[in-house]
Amino acid sequence: MPRETFQHELDTLLSDVLDLGGEVEGTLENMVRAMEEHDAVLAEKELGVDMRYKARGAEIDEECMILQARQAPVARDLRLLYTVQAVTNHLVRSGTLAEHICHAITDTAGCERDEDLEAALIEMARTARRLFHEGLDIFRDRDIDRARDLQAADDKVDLLYSEAMNLIANPSDGNAGAPEWRMRAALTVHYLERIADHGVDIGGRTVFLVTGERIESAMQQYINRDLREE
Amino acid sequence: MGDVQPSPGDPEENRDPVDSEKKTREGNPTMRPVPETQNQDSKSAREDLGGMGMSVSDLNAYYGSFKAVTDVSMEIQANKVTALIGPSGCGKSTYIRCLNRMHEVISGAYAQGRVTLGEQDIYAKDADPVIIRRRVGMVFQKPNPFSKSIYDNVAWGAKINGFRGNMDELVERSLRQAALWDEVKDRLKESGFGLSGGQQQRLCIARTLAVEPEVILMDEPASALDPVSTQKIEDTMDDLKKSYTVVIVTHNMQQAARISDYTGFFYIENQGDPGQLWEFDETEKMFSNPERKETEDYVTGRFG
Repeated sequence: MPRETFQHELDTLLSDVLDLGGEVEGTLENMVRAMEEHDAVLAEKELGVDMRYKARGAEIDEECMILQARQAPVARDLRLLYTVQAVTNHLVRSGTLAEHICHAITDTAGCERDEDLEAALIEMARTARRLFHEGLDIFRDRDIDRARDLQAADDKVDLLYSEAMNLIANPSDGNAGAPEWRMRAALTVHYLERIADHGVDIGGRTVFLVTGERIESAMQQYINRDLREE
Repeated sequence: MGDVQPSPGDPEENRDPVDSEKKTREGNPTMRPVPETQNQDSKSAREDLGGMGMSVSDLNAYYGSFKAVTDVSMEIQANKVTALIGPSGCGKSTYIRCLNRMHEVISGAYAQGRVTLGEQDIYAKDADPVIIRRRVGMVFQKPNPFSKSIYDNVAWGAKINGFRGNMDELVERSLRQAALWDEVKDRLKESGFGLSGGQQQRLCIARTLAVEPEVILMDEPASALDPVSTQKIEDTMDDLKKSYTVVIVTHNMQQAARISDYTGFFYIENQGDPGQLWEFDETEKMFSNPERKETEDYVTGRFG
């Protein structure tokens, strides 16, 4: 196949992004476990990953720029480079948010908690981790049918977000938890919602990579499809 | 379709213009002098310069029994640049030469189908190929100035087409449109051969413009030029399309992406088959998300 060197460079780039995605998934995994098990030591292991992810993200970004300058990509190659840059950004930001949450876990390790709110946080964290994993899987497999389902699954996170915010605004009597923990819980709710959004966006970017259309447009076509033909 | 020769405005070889003109006056049926009424028309016909669209329907092009291009239909938009890309031997140049009846100049070559220039069917029985080629000018891959001065290179085509206006103004305007004026304005009487390759090609563009065609066909006009000369020719495109319709064959896909509004991809499905127009769309679409896999494989450099 012509352009073997270019293809090899694209393959390497893709592999680097998926490796980074795997590492961020590892951080999310530890974050969820640390929340479930009140394991501040496990959370502490993830402190500092942000710097590493940002450095990796910058390397991938630079590689994309060099490939654009040297290889003048068009069509699917250009879409791949744009998608890689966007996905990398989602990965790095998710890693940063996960580290923020790990910080909150270590900083509030001895604090009193609101059990209802904590249960809501853990469910939201599991859901965010699942959506992130799903988004990355879709990107790896170019499975755009699942991207549509993922877009719909985002509604569940929005619902959990509303529930958690409601619990923060209206604590049950005598069970509000320590003020610092409560404040961090409010931030964590927001971070988890963002992580889930990044996962969904990775799926949406995959739709653009495969079809050249934005997910909103593809979703509209999917909604408007003629069911009698299926 | 009649037996035709290249028009004076579109010389493919370095013919001596004086010699050609003499032949014309001696009665070469395909290079006859333009009638007086037409001379008067040509003085003012292009005062309100604007390109003319072309419509191609079911065009087939042959070299004897060999079918080189099959079933091409294409709307060429007025005042736009249309680029034709595709692997070597897929019929791009053959096709473009059918747009001003240059294809049939080759012995045994002919075309079938319908090509209109505005309302004019260029293959109608009463259509004069010489007039068609004046209205649809052509710039070739290799610069081919006459062995005349820079000034005469530009003026000659217009002169024998009956131009009666201010020749100095026409020469200057044509050279400016071809982005060559500043480089040659002080040596208009020097030979065209003294120019660099890039300048010679722009001189040929100026020569084509001086005849005031409505459509300009360019067959790989920058393929033999250095990047600076190529850039100068590309830079003229934006200005040219204000007054002309441009169709350009290019092997440089980035050039097509840079300068054209529409792109047609020609392709041969199986070895020995005729070339066909595989995909035709807005350039933006063709280079970001083409419909057909073969187009995407070609523009991404995966074959060809």
